[in-house]
Amino acid sequence: MKTSTILRYLLLAVFNAGVFYAIPLSITFEAWFLLSLIILNAFLVNTVYLTDRFKPMKWILPGMIFMISFVVFPAIYNTYVSFTNWSTGHILNKTQAIKVLEDRTFTPEDQKDIQFDLYVLQDQNLEFYFFADLDENNMFFGKAVTDEDIKTTSYATHEPSLKKNDELIVPDGFYVLSGKEQIANADVLQELSLVIDSKTRAKIFKISVFGASTGSLSSTSQLYTYDSNKDALINNSTNIICPAVDDNFECDGKEIDPGWRIYVGTENYEKIFSNQRIRAPLNIVTKWTFQFAILTVIFSFFVGLLLSMILNKENLKFQRVYRSLFILPYAIPAFVSVLVWKGLLNPDYGVINNWFAPLYEILEIEPIKWLKTKESARAAVLLVNTWLGFPYMFLITTGALQSIPKELIEAAKVDGATGVQSFWRITFPLLMVSISPLLIGSFAFNFNNFTLIFLLSGGGPPVIGSEVAVGWTDILISFTYKLAISGGRGNMFGLASTVTIIVFGIVLLISALSFRYTKRLERIYGNI
Amino acid sequence: MEISKFTKWFKEYGWRHLVGLIFVTFAIYPILFVLTNSFADFANLTNSKLVPNSLTLKHYKLLSGDPLVPYFQWLYNTYKVAFLAALFNVFLGTLAAFAFSRLQFKGRRTGLLTLVIVQMFPSFLAFVAIYLLFFQISDVAPFMGLGTHFGLILVYLGGSIGFNSWLIKGFMDTISPSLDEAAKVDGASEYQIFRKIIAPLARPILVVIFVITFIGIYSDFILAAIFLKDKNLWTVAVGINTVFVDDFNADWGVIAASSVIAATPIAVLFIFFQKQITGGLTAGSVKG
Repeated sequence: MKTSTILRYLLLAVFNAGVFYAIPLSITFEAWFLLSLIILNAFLVNTVYLTDRFKPMKWILPGMIFMISFVVFPAIYNTYVSFTNWSTGHILNKTQAIKVLEDRTFTPEDQKDIQFDLYVLQDQNLEFYFFADLDENNMFFGKAVTDEDIKTTSYATHEPSLKKNDELIVPDGFYVLSGKEQIANADVLQELSLVIDSKTRAKIFKISVFGASTGSLSSTSQLYTYDSNKDALINNSTNIICPAVDDNFECDGKEIDPGWRIYVGTENYEKIFSNQRIRAPLNIVTKWTFQFAILTVIFSFFVGLLLSMILNKENLKFQRVYRSLFILPYAIPAFVSVLVWKGLLNPDYGVINNWFAPLYEILEIEPIKWLKTKESARAAVLLVNTWLGFPYMFLITTGALQSIPKELIEAAKVDGATGVQSFWRITFPLLMVSISPLLIGSFAFNFNNFTLIFLLSGGGPPVIGSEVAVGWTDILISFTYKLAISGGRGNMFGLASTVTIIVFGIVLLISALSFRYTKRLERIYGNI
Repeated sequence: MEISKFTKWFKEYGWRHLVGLIFVTFAIYPILFVLTNSFADFANLTNSKLVPNSLTLKHYKLLSGDPLVPYFQWLYNTYKVAFLAALFNVFLGTLAAFAFSRLQFKGRRTGLLTLVIVQMFPSFLAFVAIYLLFFQISDVAPFMGLGTHFGLILVYLGGSIGFNSWLIKGFMDTISPSLDEAAKVDGASEYQIFRKIIAPLARPILVVIFVITFIGIYSDFILAAIFLKDKNLWTVAVGINTVFVDDFNADWGVIAASSVIAATPIAVLFIFFQKQITGGLTAGSVKG
């Protein structure tokens, strides 16, 4: 066998080993989408590399797997999530939620008021031990542990020999802490408990300076038990039956957290279109997203075109110098320049307000609170984005202007056209033929320009009174980010995915439009 | 005489320089501002002087000394992630491009069109689903789940491989087919044609694609911010924009120094490859 063949089988073996490792785990975690992704990829890889039927695929598949897994698949998954209630409080599936709830504990009534003498001891390793004197048949001694170690520690033992005539007999190698010493260590001691049996623990209740401190019992009795026949939780403390209603268990009409995620149909979509408190912010954001993207393109195109027309002049010196200086804002990573601009725009210390200070004085107005008010934040976002975008526009318009044949302009001049006329009738239309696809591309890019918005203004200032976290400069993608991840109001994955679907739709529209108007599709067909 | 000559010059050329200079100031002022502040002894936001009184490297030194701000760790992370992702991206993209350019098969047109259509949607659009998908991957295979560079690299790979294959394929189409046909007659296998003829000849475009992808990943914020929660694993974009925003004025010199270090290599790369990057190749979609 050739080395390459051996290598191929070896890689396949490793791949399949990974698959067989991941499948049962995915089933355990009920990660069904991940499971289907794994199975799809395993199927593709094995059919392509074990048979010779799809030879070209051997070249394409390695790259394609990543595209399927992390671009196409998330798009499908996103659609699914938009039909669920996936959000904080509904992150788990039902099995996981029941498990969490069954781990909850409570203290039974009959143990609540029991108090007893509790002594705190230390061994030579300075580890804490408790001696709990409940009654003569229950004198427990053992290591005091934190909640984390409760499951692994051994139970305390009954040690009647440690108490004689109401006096504690200190075992060898141990030291009894005085009341004052206990107070000094109170923070640590309060976290510790003596494990008496699987359900019961003894904890410090009150430290007293004279004599023994007081201990109390806390029980680890299971609070809820799940009854699969009734599909309900039984509260062992109150004996109330809490039936499962949609995505939560409800005790006497009150929902218990956590719930679980379910399919909710078009509920998220209905919310977006009919719930005024969500529709209003979404309207604000959508409108601003379009304004922002369109104005950005217009401003940077205008500045770029103006400059290229002014500087595109025969025999003008330093043209190359201009070009290399203008490219600088474009060459620097946006996450850096945005940070710098944020500094320049700082309302209290920033250079820009410093410059404007005399102007503010003459006009007798308050200094502008850059990024703190709706108008100033929107203006700042547009200013910075124009700065970021005009070099690109300058470069492409310069290129396009130079490719327009001079004879055309000359001929127009001969026919008596003025400069303005020849610009609007000849130069501009010809320019737009080659530039418009790039303008649409720029629009599409800025439509989702998360970096700029999120880093410069954080989407702020916030829109007051909205049910969801949203700001006046938020664009759809940063709004989605706040809904899903950083809004400070929990993770609303379902709702965020629904907004993402809207963005998908708009991007699709833009692309269709650009194909139609620029005939890019024909070029692509030609290239195929 | 002299005056009228100047007037003539101004009417023809001079005013153009005047407008040019105004916009040059607009373009480079923020850059000069951050550059000089990174070296200025008393660096603060209010300092609008572009020539500092005295020069110092103390801000750069401070950057390396603060364990709470592992700046150079971030820098290393960024280069590592961007380099690996761009490398595999170009490698896998080249393989796919070879098939699309040189092999005849059913579904070739459809495949290419699919690539173009899929790549119209930036991969970060579905970040919610990516986040939730990797949330599950974290359970099954923690080494490539959320919070790992491995997982992040995988996402970056998916994000631009289609577009890159497309561009590389376009270049490969310009390599004369007579070359590989001659090799085929001589009994060369598909793999040999790829390895010995097409890949070496395509090297110029591969370098360009590598650089473009590298810059794109280096500058990414959103995916890195979603993925990386551990401070020591952050990329520069996430790091400086998370840590430094809290106390802007106090740290300004350090912020400036970190910006200069983060931006300079990328700016140099960009200027060096300027023609290829802006030459219609990317149609404005790469820069982030």
